[in-house]
Amino acid sequence: MNYINNMIIDGLAFGIPLFIMAVGAIYSEKSGITNLAVEGFQGFGAFCGAVLATLLSLNTSLGDQTILYLAMITAFIGGAVYAILHALLCIKFRADQVISGVVINILAVALTTFLTSQISGVLYGNASNKFTLGVSSRFTVPGISSIPVIGAVFTNVYPFEVIILVLAVFMWYLMYKSKFGMRLRACGENPQAVDAAGGDVAKTRFISVMISGGLSGFGGMCFAYSILSMFSPSIYLGYGYLAIAAMIFGNWNIIPTFFVCLFFGLAKAGGNQLCIRMGLASIYTDLFMMIPYILTLILLVFFSKRNHPPKAAGEAYDKGKR
Amino acid sequence: MKNEKQVKQKGFAASLARFLTHERFSGFTVSLFCIVLMLIVSSVFLLVLGKNPLTAFMSFLAGNGMAMKTSYGAGAGMLSDFFQFLNVMAPMLLASLAFIFAYRCGLFNIGIAGQMLLSGFVATITVGYMKELSPWIARPAVILIGLIVGGLLGAFVGFLKYQFNIHEVVSTIMINYIISYLTGFFINSKFVDPISRASKTVSAASRLTLTKVLIGGFYCNIPLGIIVAVVVAFIVHFIFEKTVFGFELRAVGSNRNAARYAGINVGKQIVFSMMISGMLAGLAGVTYYLGYTNQILPKTLAGMGYDAIATALLGNSSPIGAIFASMLITIFQNGSNYMSSTLGVAKEIASVITGILLLFSACGGFFRFVAKSYLDRMSDTIDVRFAAQKDGKPIGSVSDAPADDAAKKKGGAGK
Repeated sequence: MNYINNMIIDGLAFGIPLFIMAVGAIYSEKSGITNLAVEGFQGFGAFCGAVLATLLSLNTSLGDQTILYLAMITAFIGGAVYAILHALLCIKFRADQVISGVVINILAVALTTFLTSQISGVLYGNASNKFTLGVSSRFTVPGISSIPVIGAVFTNVYPFEVIILVLAVFMWYLMYKSKFGMRLRACGENPQAVDAAGGDVAKTRFISVMISGGLSGFGGMCFAYSILSMFSPSIYLGYGYLAIAAMIFGNWNIIPTFFVCLFFGLAKAGGNQLCIRMGLASIYTDLFMMIPYILTLILLVFFSKRNHPPKAAGEAYDKGKR
Repeated sequence: MKNEKQVKQKGFAASLARFLTHERFSGFTVSLFCIVLMLIVSSVFLLVLGKNPLTAFMSFLAGNGMAMKTSYGAGAGMLSDFFQFLNVMAPMLLASLAFIFAYRCGLFNIGIAGQMLLSGFVATITVGYMKELSPWIARPAVILIGLIVGGLLGAFVGFLKYQFNIHEVVSTIMINYIISYLTGFFINSKFVDPISRASKTVSAASRLTLTKVLIGGFYCNIPLGIIVAVVVAFIVHFIFEKTVFGFELRAVGSNRNAARYAGINVGKQIVFSMMISGMLAGLAGVTYYLGYTNQILPKTLAGMGYDAIATALLGNSSPIGAIFASMLITIFQNGSNYMSSTLGVAKEIASVITGILLLFSACGGFFRFVAKSYLDRMSDTIDVRFAAQKDGKPIGSVSDAPADDAAKKKGGAGK
């Protein structure tokens, strides 16, 4: 029983930040900008948050949890600002969007690694490649948590999981129920029509990519606090790409993507628990780490034909195109 | 535009625009323009850090044996550094050729790193760990394994794309991680060297780099892979320019539907181009893991797999261009250690510089587009003026004014 509880607790802690990154990716792609840069966005966002957290903990007497929330907001802003680069390349400079995404990722890894060693050199006197962060508190809802199995959902919850779910509901509303969201989705399907109806394709896409960067940065910060409890280049574990895979599975829709992310999280945590339960040495976790990726590949075989990616994604908007 | 031939606008902006849209060498000039931009931006970056950019660039060169270092260790000299540079350049060139081959067919092979790792791993555990093998058998065997493993992996990706419509970017990323964990597990559990925490080194007979060869009093590590890489670059060039297969590949890459109407078997081309791309990546893998590094770090994908994309972009996705581009990128990557020791800047700055270069090369098409539309607008202006002055004054005297006008407007050229 304990194993199942642990699996659910860890699975949620992994799946929910992944979900918000996937929502970010959806925002960008639905507006017609292919987004492979999630990995870079989340790393850069987490970097900004970690720098702020380190500065605050050195210079002020704020509590760990206050710093955590401030760091998350900074990560959101940092990710959004960094995403401007992707937006500029894709929208203004009409670069190939896949290439731009790859470039953004390479630059993010290089910049954050470089700046981490520079900044930590200034702050601590000797350059290191990481910022150590505090530990996020967790809470357990009394009463409900004692129900078997379902109770695990309410046990040892990170506060950011709740924030993300609230944020995701808002994002869902924004995309499917608001005027902006309708424009955004139209930009991904038929940008010429948006233009004809008086919308500004470039502006809509620009905002969407920035939202995408912000959400990814937020997700990255959650990973930095929950899994690593520090910021270092090891934040580039490939979760950004996993979020993209989740998005494709979820057929570019927010609600199915949520379940896919939960599934990824449970598969990963389940693999770890299985490994512990079978009493295997820690090197065997590598084999279980492959599970989400292999599952993705297999499921893609079955679902790819029915997928409906945004029609205009991947092309720069061309006014004159018929 | 009847006067296009005679009209030569003066001014810096116009000549730069002509330079960028040169009929034959546009690919080369745009890349050169990106490099100049990169040098400017990274100089500013270095100045902000309080370092002398000139010293930095000189030490990048010195780290690659293209300029003198202040001091050398025993038995080492410029020549040894230069061969070390070639050691890194060989896999880089092959990897970028791998990207180019798929890219010309309209496919993005993001999985080069994974294909390199798997072929390097298979070659290491088979031939690399086999004792008492003649180098004449071992080395060709290593290359063959690289080709086969990489080719199979590439063909698999192409098959998934063709049969199940799985986007190659997604499938290669997934496969990258699977390979990384899988090989990591086997290395950690079976082939690990307890001291270096990497896989055990391969036998000298199977290594594609001849180590410690005495040339002119210096010990050099001579990479055999560089010869292979340059030859392959010319073969790829030949395939693209002179064969039907290459033409069909490019046709599929430029317009898949048109190619289908023309009777080209698109699915076959996709699978084949991914397969050959994978084979080249496999070659890059064996020259990297069994030549340059000589061992495999578990669970680490070579950054080269992604840098190769930069190289291909910079080389304007032409095989010959890739030779020069891989030289440049390698200078930064390989020279970073020496630069870091002389300047006291973290060596990651080399990756930052590469990233900046990439950023500009991604905009290469845009630069060309701006230059072209700028020139078009200029010649339109001249046509209008020319038509207005029916008596036909010498054109040179007319063209000065619009060139200056347009130079002022240059800020608006992008809009």
